[in-house]
Amino acid sequence: MLFLQLLLQGIQTGALYALTAAGFALIFGATRIFHFAHGTSFTLAGYAFLFCWNGGLPGWIGTLAGIAVAMLFGLAMERLVYRPIQRHEGSFFTVFVAAFGVAVVVQNLVGMVAGRGFASVDTRLSLATEVLPDVFLAPIFWIAIAVAVVLFAALSAFLTRTHAGVALRALAQNPDLLRAYGLSSNRLSMLAFAVGSAMAAPAAILTAMTTGLNEAIGHHVMLISMAATIVGGVGSLRGAALAGLMLGVAESVALQFVDTQWAEAVSFLVLFAFIIFRPSGFFGVAQTR
Amino acid sequence: MIAYAANLATIVAIFGILAATLNFVVGFAGIFSVAHAVFFGLGAYAGAQVALHIVPDALLACVVAAVVAGGLSLCLALPALRVRGEYFVAASLGLQMMATTLFSEAKAFTGGIGGLVAIPRPTLFGMEVSVLPLALVALALILFATALLQRGAFGRTLQALRDAESAAEALGKNVAAAKTLAMLFACAGAGIAGALFALHLSFVNVESFTMDQSVLVMAMVIIGGTGTLWGPVIGAIILLSLPAGLAFVPFIPATEVGAVQQIIYGLAMTLLMIFRPAGLVGDLSKGRATA
Repeated sequence: MLFLQLLLQGIQTGALYALTAAGFALIFGATRIFHFAHGTSFTLAGYAFLFCWNGGLPGWIGTLAGIAVAMLFGLAMERLVYRPIQRHEGSFFTVFVAAFGVAVVVQNLVGMVAGRGFASVDTRLSLATEVLPDVFLAPIFWIAIAVAVVLFAALSAFLTRTHAGVALRALAQNPDLLRAYGLSSNRLSMLAFAVGSAMAAPAAILTAMTTGLNEAIGHHVMLISMAATIVGGVGSLRGAALAGLMLGVAESVALQFVDTQWAEAVSFLVLFAFIIFRPSGFFGVAQTR
Repeated sequence: MIAYAANLATIVAIFGILAATLNFVVGFAGIFSVAHAVFFGLGAYAGAQVALHIVPDALLACVVAAVVAGGLSLCLALPALRVRGEYFVAASLGLQMMATTLFSEAKAFTGGIGGLVAIPRPTLFGMEVSVLPLALVALALILFATALLQRGAFGRTLQALRDAESAAEALGKNVAAAKTLAMLFACAGAGIAGALFALHLSFVNVESFTMDQSVLVMAMVIIGGTGTLWGPVIGAIILLSLPAGLAFVPFIPATEVGAVQQIIYGLAMTLLMIFRPAGLVGDLSKGRATA
């Protein structure tokens, strides 16, 4: 029964990882920017929700605030950091270091303003009840899964049915051709950042309700998103989401065999193995760059 | 005050070695490793074990540390041969995270979170010495070796494969061997820095070998200027004197000094990347051509 409990726990964590990872994968796939500050969007959204909640505002206002903050941060990164860098040179390492610097700054600012250590939101949604003998589930489990499913359905509808979504996929495949057809790659890359960053907000809010947030959580989230994007295959949202789910489950189920300290190491072992044996991931196409 | 200055100088020299060796792979070979603290840690633990259980001979500790860290550099050379760019950064991050866990769990070798304590003072040929001269000599040797390699055939090969790997391979350069050797040199150097660090502090624990440390060393290289000889050392001096300098600023509460320091270096990394990607030194010597 412990196994079932861990599996369900893993699915809940994995659904949240999948959401964040899909956001990262969308940005990376469409713009080729290694948005290392994606985890920072997550942190900011989570804390924005926390502040609203502690201020006594209703949950939906907090949720909107979280989404807005994440989107604004993503857009600000695109306009103020990535675009100026890409104007003079596009080396990925320059982009990576700049994003890393921002992540460090925000992490410490959040620590100074909101206090260090774990903070969480108390709701009745995270109260677990026994659904099967020795298996406990909280309502938030169903919420996490429903949110993940609905958002994925919405995202794939957006990417396949709307003009903007199709253009985003075109941007991922051939930016030059896209410009030749008169579409603005600048506007589209802002769209990618807005949508991708917004995907981190629901996951952040649900995390605030379950395990709680701390100022360094963005780091962990970022590493998981990156791992999921690579394991899933760069350019494939489906892959990233599936890999995020898988990493969450692996992290949780591993607890049956090893101590908690090893949980994170398990994810990175999976990532490391993939990079060495199958760098193109589940659904990726092998490419030389 | 003299003891304080000597301590700071020793730490600067040790981090100078770390930054100079990291610069060797980042600046010359174009391998962007975010796992340098892993090899620093391996060297520190190896050196500490030698000092604790065999003899506290500084030379022996450094050699063992270099062998252990250099040998395990294969862990990182393997992905470096398979993938480039973002993928390699991801692989090295993965290695760093696994190593941090391993360092805090492999209690027999590392002492776990509590670390290894009471490492004896180092000796050299039977005489007790302080670490400062050793660290300065090691730093000088590593800078000298870097300067030699930079001009020699090996350095040119590395720079060629950094700029155009396929072209270098087409010209008959053995890319795999060059990358592996570069990693070996850099990681062995980091191992030596680790052994000196352990002997200097006579205490090591996992806190010094986390991802934050890797990032700090990377920041030193970048702020100083990648691919330059003196840049990393200057970066180490700047970033390490920052906390000392901030301690004298009256209006920052003592509990926030660490955070303010991190904010400053994070900001410095971002702003430098936007306005001066070649780093402080890089701009002086080579102009914008390297950007």
